[in-house]
Amino acid sequence: MSEITQPAKSGPVAGRLANNSQIVLLALLVVLCIGISLSAAQFYSVENVIAILRQCSLVLIVGAGMTMLLIAGEVDLSVGASLAFSGCVAMDVTNKTGSVFLGALAGILFGGLVGLFNGLVVTRLKVNSLIATIATMMILQGGVFLYTREAVQNKHQQPAFTDISTGYLGPIPLPVIIAAAVFACAYVALRYTTLGRYIYAVGANAKAARLSGRRPEQLKLLVFVVTGLLAGLTGLILASLMNTGQPTAGRGFELTVIAAVILGGTSLLGGRGTLLGTLLGVLILKVIDNGIIILRWDQNLQMIVPGVVIVLATYLDLVRRRADAR
Amino acid sequence: MHADATIDEPAVATIDPAMEMTGIGKRFPGVLALENVGLTLEPGKVHALMGENGAGKSTLIKILAGVYQKDAGAIRIGGVETDLRSPRDALRQGIKVVFQEIALISEFTVAENIFIEEYPVNGVGSISWKTIRRDAAALFERIGFNVDPAAKVGDLPVSQQQMVEIARALAHEARIVVMDEPTSSLTPNEVALLFGVIRRLASLGIAVVYVSHKLDEIFEIADTVTVLRDGRRISTKPVGEHTHDSLIQDMIGRRIENLFPRSRGVARDDVVVKVEGLSTDSKLKDVSFEARAGEVLGFFGLMGAGRTELAKAIVGYDPIKTGRITIAGQPLSPHNTRTGVSLGIGLLSEDRKTEGLMLELPVLQNASLASLEQFARAGFVDEKREKSAVQAFVDRFRIKTPGLGQQIKNLSGGNQQKVLLARWLMRGLKVIVVDEPTRGIDVGAKSEIFALIDQLAAQGLAVIMMTSEMPELLGLSDRIAVMAEGRITATMSRDDATQEKILNAAIA
Repeated sequence: MSEITQPAKSGPVAGRLANNSQIVLLALLVVLCIGISLSAAQFYSVENVIAILRQCSLVLIVGAGMTMLLIAGEVDLSVGASLAFSGCVAMDVTNKTGSVFLGALAGILFGGLVGLFNGLVVTRLKVNSLIATIATMMILQGGVFLYTREAVQNKHQQPAFTDISTGYLGPIPLPVIIAAAVFACAYVALRYTTLGRYIYAVGANAKAARLSGRRPEQLKLLVFVVTGLLAGLTGLILASLMNTGQPTAGRGFELTVIAAVILGGTSLLGGRGTLLGTLLGVLILKVIDNGIIILRWDQNLQMIVPGVVIVLATYLDLVRRRADAR
Repeated sequence: MHADATIDEPAVATIDPAMEMTGIGKRFPGVLALENVGLTLEPGKVHALMGENGAGKSTLIKILAGVYQKDAGAIRIGGVETDLRSPRDALRQGIKVVFQEIALISEFTVAENIFIEEYPVNGVGSISWKTIRRDAAALFERIGFNVDPAAKVGDLPVSQQQMVEIARALAHEARIVVMDEPTSSLTPNEVALLFGVIRRLASLGIAVVYVSHKLDEIFEIADTVTVLRDGRRISTKPVGEHTHDSLIQDMIGRRIENLFPRSRGVARDDVVVKVEGLSTDSKLKDVSFEARAGEVLGFFGLMGAGRTELAKAIVGYDPIKTGRITIAGQPLSPHNTRTGVSLGIGLLSEDRKTEGLMLELPVLQNASLASLEQFARAGFVDEKREKSAVQAFVDRFRIKTPGLGQQIKNLSGGNQQKVLLARWLMRGLKVIVVDEPTRGIDVGAKSEIFALIDQLAAQGLAVIMMTSEMPELLGLSDRIAVMAEGRITATMSRDDATQEKILNAAIA
């Protein structure tokens, strides 16, 4: 091996492009948008754009947490089940107390508790997070039916509850505002704070982080709780959107979230990833979804196309990094 | 030792070479790996091949093994010009290569692995397992290995796997045996055993090529030394004409004035580290010692003596059973690296990859990991200040990297180690524990690391160095503590220390 295996010979522009896997995703997104709008002019209509953003917002909220979790070297597969349960809790507590605030709080905190449980099982009992959170998913999917035998109907009829999902701030729907705020906070935390740096460090090498005086277990626990809270928040919005607490909501939601995060270039092995990538990943998946609907293609393609896109994008990223390392 | 006089005579005239490589050239895209290299192997002699990483040793060996094809030059075996087109070709010519990486199938037994190249078959064409086991036992008997042929390879310790790998090379008739750093995972006893095997091979008229970084081994086992540097042959001499210094000079192309520079004065009186009655469940038994500001306290011990365990216990990484650790008068809470770091003790781990480096992350993040708080205000990192601080260390330590944003996995071992040292020095430490600080690092970079360690002590840090390398221990330490089976068996000053004393205490 020579002293330095990577010569710094590529020019500044080429270097910046090569260092930026987001360029590929951005290009993909642009191509998708142009392609769809060529065959369906209504793609760019205000209603459709807002519909896409609304679709994105739920995935993005949980995706922000999931990105941090994957960077820290862990994963949470229970978010789908957790958000369904949280939605039921939120609706039920609002029914019982008549207070939207208490209901919302209960829903979000429930998600946080699930995150805490996941985090404790992973960091204290040292159960692999993939296994631990699949177990949690099963517990929640069964448990929600012990909690309520059927969907929790809206009996309180408080307008504030439905406003959470259908309200607007100016022209922009509230869920989009919430998602943007969550994204901004997570972005700043991950990019500019010591906390963000330590999350990367713990995912890249937990032992090294510990030797440097960090506590990997506590950091991971924190990120699990944050992801849980965000799942709770998403559950609340979804319950508001459907106007019921639906025990079966969110089935497969965790896979959509993880797909978007992975598509965004975050590594399953920890230590690598960006929120900007996740944002692009979410947008791409939801634009594909939307395109398939407005082009009136077979609905089953909504699963097939993203699957193909993920394989392609991951492969392209691999090629790019291999070229980068040379 | 090879005390025979024959090495002083021009042996070439009297013995036909077992193999002769002349004018060997090999080019990879962008690199000339070998240029006009010659190598002559004589039957019954041990020929050492030395050079830094990247010097071309591996390429030459792989050509010899038939893994790579030469671009230029000629290979003559027993006087006949031959092309080694494939590993199979090389094997057929009687060339056996033991590579550094263990390439055994862990689910198979020892005997199955040894004969895997060509299983003996019985009359009906099925593999004769009985023959295999019998032949393996006979082979071990012959070369003096004590390994059960029926054991599963995966169940053996790494050192024994290495022995199996070597035995495999000897299973079929060999004319030339090549060993690529065979002792990297062996204990001293096993090294002695291996050297016995090598001498036996030589006495059978086999030409042995021995690749190693370890100078002491070369002087013990080799008859002739060829040094490669930057793909060229620098010298081929009988080992008796070399000294440690001349070998190092040939390898790195410049003279290292002093491998162990010493800029520091006498140690100060203030005790910075005090360890009393330290025991752990894993290994340590009643360990007590003190280290003062400005000194290098060297810990020596054979494999399994407990050096790494001690290092990890005193920085608060591993739990302890009993005992007290005090850093500059403050008690360290055991099993808590956070207090250790805040009291000013840090560990440079022996295992860079798994316990030190964040391979995927840039140099910047790797360097500032332990001192990030210094560059933060209200939790936000001031990247400008962070960068200039890291850059200062990159300059001061002469770390070769294209930039701070470079992923650390692309740096050489020596430069990675310097970044990890910088990680600790960026936050004013009082004590640094360095565990095998030069493992897997080139000779040239080694002397730089030694100089840095010396400077640290000169600046008033207490340096606790764990090492299994005798020259490093004697060259760098002010005081020496020797460990055996989890205890400190002797402590001595640098002036009183001799190799003999140290080894005696290490075996005790």
